[in-house]
Amino acid sequence: MASAELRQIRRRISSVNSTKKITRAMELIAASRIVKAQQRVKQSIPYAEKLTEVIRNVARASGGVAHPLLERRDVKTVGMLVISSDRGLAGAYNANVIRMAEAAMIEHGREDRELKLFLVGKKGQTYFRFRGYHIERAFLGVTDAPSYGDARAVANTLLEAFATGEVDAVEAYYTRYVSALNQQATRYRLLPVEPPGVEGAEEEAATVAYTYEPSPGEILDRILPRYVEAAIFGMLLESSASEHASRQRAMKAATDNATELVKILTRVANQARQAEITTEISEIVGGAEALAEARGE
Amino acid sequence: MAKTFHVDVVSPEATVWSGEATFVVARTVEGEIGILADHEPTMAALATGAVIIESDGDRTLIGVHGGFLQILDNQVTLLTDRAQISEGGRDVAARIAAELQELEEAEEELEAEG
Repeated sequence: MASAELRQIRRRISSVNSTKKITRAMELIAASRIVKAQQRVKQSIPYAEKLTEVIRNVARASGGVAHPLLERRDVKTVGMLVISSDRGLAGAYNANVIRMAEAAMIEHGREDRELKLFLVGKKGQTYFRFRGYHIERAFLGVTDAPSYGDARAVANTLLEAFATGEVDAVEAYYTRYVSALNQQATRYRLLPVEPPGVEGAEEEAATVAYTYEPSPGEILDRILPRYVEAAIFGMLLESSASEHASRQRAMKAATDNATELVKILTRVANQARQAEITTEISEIVGGAEALAEARGE
Repeated sequence: MAKTFHVDVVSPEATVWSGEATFVVARTVEGEIGILADHEPTMAALATGAVIIESDGDRTLIGVHGGFLQILDNQVTLLTDRAQISEGGRDVAARIAAELQELEEAEEELEAEG
């Protein structure tokens, strides 16, 4: 009959083992998702690059472009887009990006700027709501596998807020996917749009005399919102890849810890069992001796 | 053999088509445009419709909705909002384009409601 101690240890071992099964499954799922998410990041790059190139060419060709989306205003209200995840168990993924955003919010507060919060992901929503921040809008259910439509929805909201003067600038906080082992919370200035690389350095590429269909102004009208959409789409994809990578690492650590814990607990259980057997044997021997003594009397 | 030029058809989510071509037809907001090698630099807004890419007798049809067309130094870039290669003829490609447009409108409606 196993002692209470031994029984308790055995119960813990089986509980740790079932936890391990779960973390192991989550690790494998995350690992398979990273590959897909990475591919999507890679596939979205040609569009973003070409778009940047086109904007650069148009900006250069039409010389000193003026457009509402490029206009720098005195910043009284800052729109903040914070991209977190819907689900937890991803290590420090959400904490890092949220902490960075909150630090910036405090900084803006010091400079007497008003804030408007736009959030992607439930974790950010929960965090900021709990701390009593007013949330302008939260987008949920997009971080697992973001589509371009999701990015467009976010972009439309921000572009409208910027156009109506509700916000004078928009900063985005997301997690950049550097590599499978390295993801970094990053700040990106989304609005006003900074025309990509119109630096004088590469001026040798003489201005191109384009034929426009329709006018350059109308082309810019169409292309700049696309640029914002593509930027947001890129950030969503990178954040998603980062989320899966973080989760995979966190779950791998949890699985390893569980393995280690089972090993230690098994040793403790063996020791307890051994002690029990020893006790039983000495009881039997003691009993036998007592009997022999009684008989040989 | 006709002179070729490089064509990229990209959408935000992927590169749809990339390669050398001898002749391209696309629809811009101002009408149809036919492109041969050494076309003048052009920047145009794309409309919804079929894009035809001809290369060495091969013909690729793509349904395209929205975006831009850039022609520069024998590099033709179609930055589409949505694009899908069509297996059928030109009318099929045009129908795909129309469907892509409907899809986008439906998504926008959903967004407006949500």
